[in-house]
Amino acid sequence: MLRTLKKCIPHVILLAYLLVILFPFLFVLFSSVKKNNLEIALNPFGIPKEFVFDNYIEAWVNAKISTYFFNSMYIAIFASVVTILLGSMFAFAVTRMRQGKWNGILFSLVLVGMLIPNNALMLPIYTIVRKLGILNTHWALIIPYIANAIPFTVIILAAFMRILPREIEEAAVMDGLNAPGIFAKIIVPLTVPAMVTVFIVNFLGNWNEFLLANYFLSNDELRTLPVGMVQFRDQYQMNYAQMSAGIVYSVLPVVIIYAFLQEKIIEGLTAGSVKG
Amino acid sequence: MNKALRNPLVFTLFVLPALFLFMMFFIYPIFSSLYYSFTSWNGVSDTVKFSGLTNFKKALGDERFWISAKNNGLFICFSVFIQVPLIVLFSLLIANVKKLKGLYKTAVFMPSIMSTAVIGILWGFIYEPNIGLLNKLIGLVGIEPIYWLSDERFAMISILITNAWQWTGFYIVMVLAAILSIPGELNEAAMIDGATGVQRATRITLPLIMPIITVVIMLSIAGAMKAADIVIVMTKGGPAGSTEVMATYMIKYAITNFKYGYGNAIAVLIFIFTLLVTALYQLLIARRNERIEY
Repeated sequence: MLRTLKKCIPHVILLAYLLVILFPFLFVLFSSVKKNNLEIALNPFGIPKEFVFDNYIEAWVNAKISTYFFNSMYIAIFASVVTILLGSMFAFAVTRMRQGKWNGILFSLVLVGMLIPNNALMLPIYTIVRKLGILNTHWALIIPYIANAIPFTVIILAAFMRILPREIEEAAVMDGLNAPGIFAKIIVPLTVPAMVTVFIVNFLGNWNEFLLANYFLSNDELRTLPVGMVQFRDQYQMNYAQMSAGIVYSVLPVVIIYAFLQEKIIEGLTAGSVKG
Repeated sequence: MNKALRNPLVFTLFVLPALFLFMMFFIYPIFSSLYYSFTSWNGVSDTVKFSGLTNFKKALGDERFWISAKNNGLFICFSVFIQVPLIVLFSLLIANVKKLKGLYKTAVFMPSIMSTAVIGILWGFIYEPNIGLLNKLIGLVGIEPIYWLSDERFAMISILITNAWQWTGFYIVMVLAAILSIPGELNEAAMIDGATGVQRATRITLPLIMPIITVVIMLSIAGAMKAADIVIVMTKGGPAGSTEVMATYMIKYAITNFKYGYGNAIAVLIFIFTLLVTALYQLLIARRNERIEY
């Protein structure tokens, strides 16, 4: 009796914590299918009596969530893909090619990037982007996003490439492959698992980014989802049901990715922070 | 034999694109920030006027700057004194349960992969005075509605709670990994010697996970100094500037008020403060922990 009680206590505490984490999501989910604020106010905790899906249509079409959604999607994917390309080339060169001390110097230099608090660099980046004449275009986000993710990408991919055995490329050289060939035909295919992790982590970072997206774009058509959501809330402050639908739209892709790839995401995110 | 891998031209071509972007967006901004922090440049005009230490004097003499620095301090204190003990407690609990371990881990980690802006909106809804979840909840026990985000007494703590809600799980997973990597023999030996669960946790596990707790605290400090989006989304620094943090103060002056030089001085101060806090922590606390011998 005492033993089972003792066994239960940790679960009771943990389930309470779980409730604190998950209930806000349920609250938003339930609110998103309620008719209006009044119904949320009368029945804040429970499932609505009748499900109203109009909020989703309204938010998607009228509040331009669709525009923001696709903007975010393509910016996040495009920037992550380019980062992987540039990062893997860099990681390949410094781990597999032989340039004496340069390998170490360049790698350490990029490592320093993990220590720099990037929010504090926002102003100079703003000026760079303005001087390049790309302020208020999607490039104003894409290029800084690519650059921003390079240190993390290089660190993870370099760690992975470093442990590949030397023999594979020796065989490849015998077969007459040059360095770019070794990179494209041998190293990249072997590095795919690490690339997937890095891609997801970078994608999430870009998908969620707020500060640059908020200050570097002023044209409504160009906005990304987090910024669009904030603006949406400021405009439709009174319509919480519709706002909840908007929150669901922005959280859903992340939850879906997480449902399938949680191990990779957890591993990638924690590894990135510990090494930095 | 490995001539192909010694080709300097190919090496340069492979390294250059990433290196170029890195220099442009990491190294150059540091020096640029430092340079403009000594000027009164407005960010657009052609002439840049050198103004010595004026910006720094002005910042250090501005009460609003110190309010924001104090709020960054609150972020740090809240994570070190409230979040970290909770993180350790929950990680120990999750490590020791047999069932549902995976579920707990997956669920608590989830908020940390979401957009801070959207989390801010979500919690803004929870804190909403009339229909928000929290006032409904405290209404059940008869407490009058509280204006969480527009009352100076509650605004900052509301933000801190939201921030903790988002990030605690992330650190729990980190600490949990450290606990699970401790060899089982240590605990078994202690169990044979008759140590209770609590004794094993405080005498064996806790000292062994001290290094990762140091990492968690360092990351919390770094995160606290960077905090900006959550404040912008939830309160915009209000009511009456009471929730402003250094990064939002910087943005307000540099981008909204065209005081680019002054904004960069704040950026430099954020750097210096971060270094100071980290160094202080390393000197006072982290060193002492390293002396524990297992």
